[in-house]
Amino acid sequence: MEKILQVKDLELSFNTFGGEVKAIRGVNFDLYKGETLAIVGESGSGKSVTTKSIMRLLPEESAEFKNGEILFGGRDLTKLSDKEMQKIRGKDISMIFQDPMTSLNPTMPIGRQITEPILKHQKISKDEAKKVAVDLLRLVGMPKPELRMKQYPHQFSGGQRQRIVIAIALACNPQILIADEPTTALDVTIQAQILELMKDLQKKIDTSIIFITHDLGVVANVADRVAVMYGGKIVEIGTVDEIFYNPQHPYTWGLLSSMPSMDAEDAKLYAIPGTPPDLLDPPQGDAFALRSEYAMKIDMEQPPPFFKVSDTHMAATWLLHPDAPTVEPPEMVIERMKKFPGSRYYEGSAN
Amino acid sequence: MAEKLVEIKNLKQHFNVGKANEVKAVDGITFDIYKGETLGLVGESGCGKSTTGRSIIRLYDATDGQVLYEGESVHGKKNKKDLKKFNRKMQMIFQDPYASLNQRMKVMDIIAEGIDIHGLAKDSAERKKMVYDLLETVGLNKEHANRYPHEFSGGQRQRLGIARALAVDPDFIIADEPISALDVSIQAQVVNLLKELQEEKGLTYLFIAHDLSMVKYISDRIGVMYFGKLVELATADELYANPMHPYTQSLLSAIPLPDPNYERNRTRKAYDPAVHNYADGEDVRMREVSPNHFVDCSEKEFAELQERLATKK
Repeated sequence: MEKILQVKDLELSFNTFGGEVKAIRGVNFDLYKGETLAIVGESGSGKSVTTKSIMRLLPEESAEFKNGEILFGGRDLTKLSDKEMQKIRGKDISMIFQDPMTSLNPTMPIGRQITEPILKHQKISKDEAKKVAVDLLRLVGMPKPELRMKQYPHQFSGGQRQRIVIAIALACNPQILIADEPTTALDVTIQAQILELMKDLQKKIDTSIIFITHDLGVVANVADRVAVMYGGKIVEIGTVDEIFYNPQHPYTWGLLSSMPSMDAEDAKLYAIPGTPPDLLDPPQGDAFALRSEYAMKIDMEQPPPFFKVSDTHMAATWLLHPDAPTVEPPEMVIERMKKFPGSRYYEGSAN
Repeated sequence: MAEKLVEIKNLKQHFNVGKANEVKAVDGITFDIYKGETLGLVGESGCGKSTTGRSIIRLYDATDGQVLYEGESVHGKKNKKDLKKFNRKMQMIFQDPYASLNQRMKVMDIIAEGIDIHGLAKDSAERKKMVYDLLETVGLNKEHANRYPHEFSGGQRQRLGIARALAVDPDFIIADEPISALDVSIQAQVVNLLKELQEEKGLTYLFIAHDLSMVKYISDRIGVMYFGKLVELATADELYANPMHPYTQSLLSAIPLPDPNYERNRTRKAYDPAVHNYADGEDVRMREVSPNHFVDCSEKEFAELQERLATKK
């Protein structure tokens, strides 16, 4: 498969009055053509900062690239000037934000907001751009697109606004679409519509999507591959089946067990104790060690490297080291592993 | 069946009454909340679930209908003394732990505000002790009492909100989306805390939320709201196993679950209110289709649902 984006050893810090916040501490991943990569993690894990650094949307005065590169089309995005970056933003890589109300301009008719990137990046006339915009609105399922071109954002519902934001993001057929919690502000029924729309459009225009969310249900629905972030690092990455049915990192275990399943009995919910690490002074070893009941002595001292689980699946935990003791994952995780051929709890096919 | 703690009778909450932009946020809903149970209220934004909660606790004056707490009307005229007595029994936990705590007050004073108003502490030493105990109850410690809200994380703030609600020793707590603003790993902590407190103190909860899997986990019974009306009410298990109202079915079919195999095969149902095809003036109301399972339906739909149940058996 063709790699269209490579993030290598990325390290990024924010310089604040309190000191240097190490928001990203060595992130590596590749994005393949046409796939959806979901990045999950809690607030402060660095998932949004990672994608914002790809788009170079972080404040120049406080955010600083410490190390690493972001390769796109043979160029390192961390080194580009603002002007060069503007040619990529909205054309080759575009972004959908969480809150559709604040990402649209309330004083501009939506037709103009959709034609804006088209006129900026393509050499076509205003009339042609308008036609493209109407087509885009039709593509994202907006009824009567010609009439709605002249309306303002407040005249649309939340779901419709997010459709407009998607139309703007897709206006120049980007190679990469970054969606930062695009459905978090929406109701479940609207969320389902938007997710269906995004999957549908992805097939039509063959774009790659980086999908950021903390909702594991949404991940299971949209993702081909999943990266789990914690404390500024990716702790586990694999295909959606590998992450959901054969997770290896204790943090992934905790995340999966803290969600009640629909057929759950009244057992107590598994709660990850404690709070996320302070990235002003990140822990020396495994960032999750202090919250993990599986932590070993080495977890406090040395950060774990990535261990290979399969060709597509890697996890950064000392538990995978050949010398580590075999541990029993939480019960809910064992239940999941029973469904996965290749895991040590596999019980054969369900049929 | 357990004793009724709160009875909501044909509650209506309209805004801008008499104007062109009148909004019928809650339009005639009736249900009971039993002592010691958790009643979940779900629905999409704008369906009136929060308004219902706020009307029950008298943050709004109801347009019509009644809310009875232990047989006594919540709304209507009350003198200061009665109101105070009543306020002690009912407390609320809000959605946004950032906006619901006064940034300029220390935790000690935030939590003790209710204690002061109701004169529950004899002297400042007792007041201090009560606050320390409350902090411990919600899993914080007494050093936290001298801090300001901005020094806490979202989950910790929500614990402060819970401690404040518990300060006056209430029987009934309305939790309006108490976990929506929290991270997944923290949500479980807060939900477990709420459950523990319920067991310890015999609290009754009205739990308002849109996250259906969490609601199912915490609730004994669940009410589904749609456009200001209650459309279905049943025990949590029954509602998920046998959703009868087409809106409930559509809502349940829209929830993504953390299970890729299930997600690949999930089919979503859309809800179109036109399917009911009600005639003008048709008698549509909550009817008990099977024991303790109420559905908003017409006489004709009721017969159909009963028939469907019979053939199922």
